Amino acid sequence: MQDAENVAAPEAAEERADPARQQPASEPPPPPEEEQTESGTSEVARTEDPEEEAAAGTEPEVRAEPAAQPEETATSPAKPSAPVLAEGPGGQAGDHQSIDEEGGPDGSAAADAEPRAVENGEADEPSFSDPEDFVDDVSEEELLGDVLKDRPQEADGIDSVIVVDNVPQVGPDRLEKLKNVIHKIFSKFGKITNDYYPEEDGKTKGYIFLEYASPAHAVDAVKNADGYKLDKQHTFRVNLFTDFDKYMTISDEWDIPEKQPFKDLGNLRYWLEEAECRDQYSVIFESGDRTSIFWNDVKDPVSIEERARWTETYVRWSPKGTYLATFHQRGIALWGGEKFKQIQRFSHQGVQLIDFSPCERYLVTFSPLMDTQDDPQAIIIWDILTGHKKRGFHCESSAHWPIFKWSHDGKFFARMTMDTLSIYETPSMGLLDKKSLKISGIKDFSWSPGGNIIAFWVPEDKDIPARVTLMQLPTRQEIRVRNLFNVVDCKLHWQKNGDYLCVKVDRTPKGTQGVVTNFEIFRMREKQVPVDVVEMKETIIAFAWEPNGSKFAVLHGEAPRISVSFYHVKSNGKIELIKMFDKQQANTIFWSPQGQFVVLAGLRSMNGALAFVDTSDCTVMNIAEHYMASDVEWDPTGRYVVTSVSWWSHKVDNAYWLWTFQGRLLQKNNKDRFCQLLWRPRPPTLLSQEQIKQIKKDLKKYSKIFEQKDRLSQSKASKELVERRRTMMEDFREYRKKAQELYMKQKTERLELRGGVDTDELDSNVDDWEEETIEFFVTEEVIPLGGQE
Amino acid sequence: MKPILLQGHERSITQIKYNREGDLLFTVAKDPIVNVWYSVNGERLGTYMGHTGAVWCVDADCILFVLSLLFLSPGKQLALLKTNSAVRTCGFDFGGNIIMFSTDKQMGYQCFVSFFDLRDPNQIDSNEPYMKIPCNDSKITSAVWGPLGECIIAGHESGELNQYSAKSGEVLVNVKEHSRQINDIQLSRDMTMFVTASKDNTAKLFDSTNLEHQKTFRTERPVNSAALSPNYDHVVLGGGQEAMDVTTTSTRIGKFEARFFHLAFEEEFGRVKGHFGPINSVAFHPDGKSYSSGGEDGYVRIHYFDPQYFEFEFEA
Repeated sequence: MQDAENVAAPEAAEERADPARQQPASEPPPPPEEEQTESGTSEVARTEDPEEEAAAGTEPEVRAEPAAQPEETATSPAKPSAPVLAEGPGGQAGDHQSIDEEGGPDGSAAADAEPRAVENGEADEPSFSDPEDFVDDVSEEELLGDVLKDRPQEADGIDSVIVVDNVPQVGPDRLEKLKNVIHKIFSKFGKITNDYYPEEDGKTKGYIFLEYASPAHAVDAVKNADGYKLDKQHTFRVNLFTDFDKYMTISDEWDIPEKQPFKDLGNLRYWLEEAECRDQYSVIFESGDRTSIFWNDVKDPVSIEERARWTETYVRWSPKGTYLATFHQRGIALWGGEKFKQIQRFSHQGVQLIDFSPCERYLVTFSPLMDTQDDPQAIIIWDILTGHKKRGFHCESSAHWPIFKWSHDGKFFARMTMDTLSIYETPSMGLLDKKSLKISGIKDFSWSPGGNIIAFWVPEDKDIPARVTLMQLPTRQEIRVRNLFNVVDCKLHWQKNGDYLCVKVDRTPKGTQGVVTNFEIFRMREKQVPVDVVEMKETIIAFAWEPNGSKFAVLHGEAPRISVSFYHVKSNGKIELIKMFDKQQANTIFWSPQGQFVVLAGLRSMNGALAFVDTSDCTVMNIAEHYMASDVEWDPTGRYVVTSVSWWSHKVDNAYWLWTFQGRLLQKNNKDRFCQLLWRPRPPTLLSQEQIKQIKKDLKKYSKIFEQKDRLSQSKASKELVERRRTMMEDFREYRKKAQELYMKQKTERLELRGGVDTDELDSNVDDWEEETIEFFVTEEVIPLGGQE
Repeated sequence: MKPILLQGHERSITQIKYNREGDLLFTVAKDPIVNVWYSVNGERLGTYMGHTGAVWCVDADCILFVLSLLFLSPGKQLALLKTNSAVRTCGFDFGGNIIMFSTDKQMGYQCFVSFFDLRDPNQIDSNEPYMKIPCNDSKITSAVWGPLGECIIAGHESGELNQYSAKSGEVLVNVKEHSRQINDIQLSRDMTMFVTASKDNTAKLFDSTNLEHQKTFRTERPVNSAALSPNYDHVVLGGGQEAMDVTTTSTRIGKFEARFFHLAFEEEFGRVKGHFGPINSVAFHPDGKSYSSGGEDGYVRIHYFDPQYFEFEFEA
């Protein structure tokens, strides 16, 4: 690009000298990307480039151009001059010189330009040109005002011209060959109506100009051929000719970018410093109209923030809990800090789904709207810190969200399409090693949460067995391949630390009826990744790894005879069944994030049956029920569980209940049209393994302190309650006293209205009573409730 | 606490009411019968026939008048007032001379509150009330006379409460504390306060002179009726899942329960199950020793409180 800029310098300078003409050429429509950010969010984009803004301001004039164009382009091809020269004609002597310099040996082109500058088109008769010292005293307007308006504008065809840099420099002998090659590459984008190869000392200069039949082709060429690798030494840089001015205005000296004012967002992790170590959660209720953030507290949740219409659909916490993302028609907003101020916005019309990278550095958004052929916008990856768009992607297939899966450290992300697995790297967002993996038939893949290992599987194809492959990245080394036979389906389950991978394989072994399920357990931390298998003949309802351990739970069987089995993967690789409970009412397994404890829930159709199990000794700690519960959410520390009935799945009794991990019910929180509760995640602990061990050892010491604290707060709570009731009672008594006084005052009026009879008390006029004795037959009858009708 | 079950209606109960002394219980339902029972043992004293459609409201004067679109004394129809659309609420004023009733917005007719003075026979003969208040915005779903018969307090479909003057018909006070339809309004014994029952799952206590909101009682189901205890600071709420939704869901989630709240603390302290449809009307016996509930299931249940009820006290 560098030389191209230098070359363009004189013209651009002239252009500025002639204000009448300057306009059209100087305003490249802002590149699409900037336009994007500008329309939407980022102020950063504005301050960055003030010229940009100025250009955008005059944009409409550029738009007006194309209307006049078609007929004008028709005239320009008539001239054999290189398109670049159309830029040159300025009428002054200086011009000619510059053109000569520029055009070099191409004398005819220079000659061409000269008459045209004066005579507007009669280029073929040089004898009509004025002598050098002639001063025109008749203005052109006067002379041929009627035809002047038809004169070709210098913008003619300019929009269709591209500049290609880094073209091989060749002598005349190989020029023809070069032209052929160039033609082959660039005619893909449209018909090339003109080309120009500037030469110097008998060799081409290394840059060329091409003109297309329409500006759209030129844009297409820039988009697709820029960065084209011709060979090792030559990578094309393609630019629109009209962009020259933009690049010209970039001064040679590098200005230190203006320092962005530092926005103090406060401590984004303030909630971790809370003295009581309480956790936060978000609650959406009133069918989505209101969103609240609460401190979780054993007594009552403490509200931190409540806003109406904070989000239009739902909210998401970032993986480490720093940000709260809200969804809007226009895009995504991130909130955080103590007051939940807005931290960042991402403009993406009609956004529906989002995903954070595990490192909280990037955000992936998906919108079904707005995608166009040449501007991928269905999926956008954003930089959270700057708010800039990093890359857009098309979304052709209707795969499961997240379409892009992130590696545990956020260094890579991958996507699966037909027969390919594309792995991209950050921060460049480019394909890793510039190419995707061809894996024909790939069905599913998944990153290890504990290392940059990707697992994927391929189904059977004729004689080739199904295959599960573990691949190390970025080396792409296959560290383990396992062949499987008679496979119907596979599911990949990683243990949270990445210590184990379980591949659930549904098989139909030859000679048998029905499906058998194998759990293939890969021990990732051992050499060669040994695999052990557990086979089950029953239907599998659910499978889940213990997050920080080596146990897993399986729900199997057919309703109503559902059993749960707990297995333990021993260090020698043996897989041992620890315990099986039958007759369970459950369809989902929820492990505590700290392991050991598990909640087996029968959600929705199973009426919300809950079983709290301690897997260290396999005891059921409690059996309970939250009728029609639709969700179970463990808090990030594993101390509490919330079960909830969401308005999204069930329209009545929308509430969330708080339980301890042992299954003791602490709170029932009814919320009108409650929709969703999400715990704020915590970042990984900063304590070392030794420190944790030490704390566990000293648990008795701590528990004493905490128990005392609990007792204190309990007695405080009951005191508070009594106190509250007392004030309520006092207020109420006061009110009643006033009402009674008023009532007594009105006694005379009442007497008057009732003809002098006092009816204030039931027995106030006993004297008037007539006694009558009625004999009742009192029969007792036992009626079974609900038995009638 | 064994309830006495009254089976005298073929359709769902719309309202039940004790007379002032509490020995009689009047019940009306969507069938055309008005039943009167001895509250002490549930024996039926008699029925009033004469209606042709659903009866929505009943009010017993101290000298035993029943108004319910018709006037009836034991055995004899006193007067018949014809209206264009269904009568939703009705009531005698404190003096027993003026009746008020409101009609539904129905079949192209507006919602009106009509006032008849019984001392003027012309009004009944000509079927012309001395005053008619049009109510265009939101129809009246429940109404009672205010203290001393100076005003009426009306609850609207929108959840608004209006106090209309019984003399001029103008709106004296307007408040909106409920977000949905007010199903029932019942006064305390001394008429200084009243409790509203609303479809928005709450019942609220108001002062009857200035309509100032005092207390709120929250449940998870629409509240169809609420009644204040005459001698304790208690309120009973009746309601449950709306009848039209019941068939689509399991019976367990209906919550067809009468719920007892403390008036000052707004806290629930007891529940009575038994109905297998929503409770449409509850009423306290004037002596506060028993209460009755009438449900969508067509039954009326008279409950005498256990001794524990009278001993129970909140820790305060």
